[in-house]
Amino acid sequence: MRPSATAYIYIAPAFALLLFVLFSPVIYGFWFTLFRIEYGAPTDFIGLGNYVRLIEDPTLLPTLSRSGVFTAACVVFTIIIAMALAVWINRLPARTAFIVQMVVIVPWIISAVVATLLFRWVFVNDIGVASYIIQLMGFDAVQPLNNPTGAMVLLVAVSVWKRIGYAVLVLLAGLKSIPDDYDEAARIDGANNWQIFRMITLPLLKTPLLLIAIVLTLSTFNTVETPLVMTGGGPGDATRILAMDVYERAFTNYDLGSATALAIIMFAGNILLVMSYVRLARWQA
Amino acid sequence: MTTIWSRRLRRAGSAGLLILAASLPVSGAMAETIRMWTFLNPAGNAPREKALAEIIAKFEAANPGAKIVVEPQVWDQMTPKFLAASRGGNAPDVIWVITDLLGDAIKSGSMADLRKLFIDKWTKEQVADYAGAYWDQCAINGKQYCLFTSRNYISVIYRADLLKEAGIDPATLTTWDKFTEAAKKLTVKDASGTITRWGFGQGFSEAQADPQMMIPATLAEQGTIFEENGRARFATPAGVAGLKLQTDMITKEGVTPKQAATWTPDDLIEQFSAGRLAMYTGASVRVSSVQAKIGADKVGQMLWPGNGKKPHSPAVMAGWAVGVWSGSKNQELAGRFLDYMTGPEGDSIWVTVGGQAPTLGTTIKSLASYFDKPGNGYMTVTTEGARDFGWLAPIDFGVGGYRQALNKAAQNVVVNGMEPKAALEEAEKEFNRRNNR
Repeated sequence: MRPSATAYIYIAPAFALLLFVLFSPVIYGFWFTLFRIEYGAPTDFIGLGNYVRLIEDPTLLPTLSRSGVFTAACVVFTIIIAMALAVWINRLPARTAFIVQMVVIVPWIISAVVATLLFRWVFVNDIGVASYIIQLMGFDAVQPLNNPTGAMVLLVAVSVWKRIGYAVLVLLAGLKSIPDDYDEAARIDGANNWQIFRMITLPLLKTPLLLIAIVLTLSTFNTVETPLVMTGGGPGDATRILAMDVYERAFTNYDLGSATALAIIMFAGNILLVMSYVRLARWQA
Repeated sequence: MTTIWSRRLRRAGSAGLLILAASLPVSGAMAETIRMWTFLNPAGNAPREKALAEIIAKFEAANPGAKIVVEPQVWDQMTPKFLAASRGGNAPDVIWVITDLLGDAIKSGSMADLRKLFIDKWTKEQVADYAGAYWDQCAINGKQYCLFTSRNYISVIYRADLLKEAGIDPATLTTWDKFTEAAKKLTVKDASGTITRWGFGQGFSEAQADPQMMIPATLAEQGTIFEENGRARFATPAGVAGLKLQTDMITKEGVTPKQAATWTPDDLIEQFSAGRLAMYTGASVRVSSVQAKIGADKVGQMLWPGNGKKPHSPAVMAGWAVGVWSGSKNQELAGRFLDYMTGPEGDSIWVTVGGQAPTLGTTIKSLASYFDKPGNGYMTVTTEGARDFGWLAPIDFGVGGYRQALNKAAQNVVVNGMEPKAALEEAEKEFNRRNNR
């Protein structure tokens, strides 16, 4: 028996289990969407009828573009802030760095619902801390949740705050793996801090950055708890994103046909993102 | 090798049998267990959770060997999950069904006929004890698919002490004008002109959407908000007037804060408990929780004002219909438990421990002195309201999402400056599209 064949045999059970756990619901879900769903059960075969109905829904495209803007804003801001924090923490003395890391990680490890509720209570009403501080500074009370742009900004802020700990940890690990020699050599050659960061640190962090970008994109794109608790999709449709649309179709309108169809489309989108990650990682190698 | 393995297997088998034998009850009676899905957790501290725990404990004590296992669920996902579980053959024996989806649950064949299980054994007086809109909601073609264990009446919750202080008798607020005047009187500003207490709190969030005041106002005029075929009937003259009345509370009368556009029922309770609201749109089933926070005698519930022709507008009623899964292997025990939980003893516990309005006529009589106590008056009010001024959403078609659609219309008026008619037309279109109508 050739070694490569043995290796395949060893990984086969785990791979089969993974395929079963990951893909069997998708296959069942796709089969489910090919039928008219009544009382939670498939009845008549309608082919791609559920998908056609979904595509004909005039609210789908605005929801998709809103999801794109929300996801892009979250990923970009999270990476920029996490990078700055990671570089800063990397230069701190060990004990201080440990304490700062703990503080940064807390939002990531607490439940999304709890984290969102904390934010909501700060901003939701005129007795919240944010409003109090703003009024103390002599400005009029601000009600960001009552304004379409303000609500989206707040939603992005919560999502960035929630995920920043993960990004900082990965980037910090990347920074620690860069040998000090590179930095010292560059300084001897007369490079300043910005030049060292741009020409040495950033290129060497390409792989962790790519990983973070993909993971953050997927987790933000698929999030439902944060908008549900924070804004309920409002005001109007200002913060209604795709994952929330799936939830509402399934559990508010009880339209399991279109909800599952949308979930399948989102799954395909997620697979495309993962494939692009794999392609980019190969290019990096 | 084979002999050694056989010996080991035999020893393991014997040990397993011993363990199994040891785990059986001493009496030798096999324990009978049923599963129940509800949003209440009997280990919790809320009044209704305590009531459920007491009901289960008493039932189990009276039925040795019976075990009720509660699997708490997220309330808005519970009924769709039940329908899916029923199809998959793994549904719980006892299920609490949300009223929006009750028609679907019955039509799907997932709910057993309770007449066969226990109602046929009742006397005529017992059946008459349950009579009313809620009973009728579960009765189809001579079968009874459910009984309501929780009756919810959504109207105006008020701070009794603040209304008394302002010289307002809630019973006299029988028109929208009188109600608005009262709300204005209850709105308080400090020396700098900042409002420190709002007269009337509302919540238009689509998350956990409660029906707001435009619905009773519309129902008072046109009786329903749906066509016979299930299409929405929101953008009618009555609907437009109702939405204008609701949003004018913010934009014109200044008795409701603009934050109402995003407030949820939980936000309203927090604001009310903090003394920031004198009245708010709320559900009777949560009055006991509010009372637990600020004092029983400080919280009351009133009926909605009327349209001039009738003293009160119909409030949206909801609740939890409890049934037995048609595929249950333990239908007899499940039925027995349901009979107890919704019967005179169970109803009495729901009222006295859970703070719920009574569902049985006999409970109203037997607990008459209890309802006279300070803080319990709201139960009498909502019971009267449920009898004469209530509206249950139809079950001939699904109505999921109607409250959210109307709340979004209100948001669009308050935040995006839409005209009420345009906002309701959009809500109507969205509701019909989402429900394939």
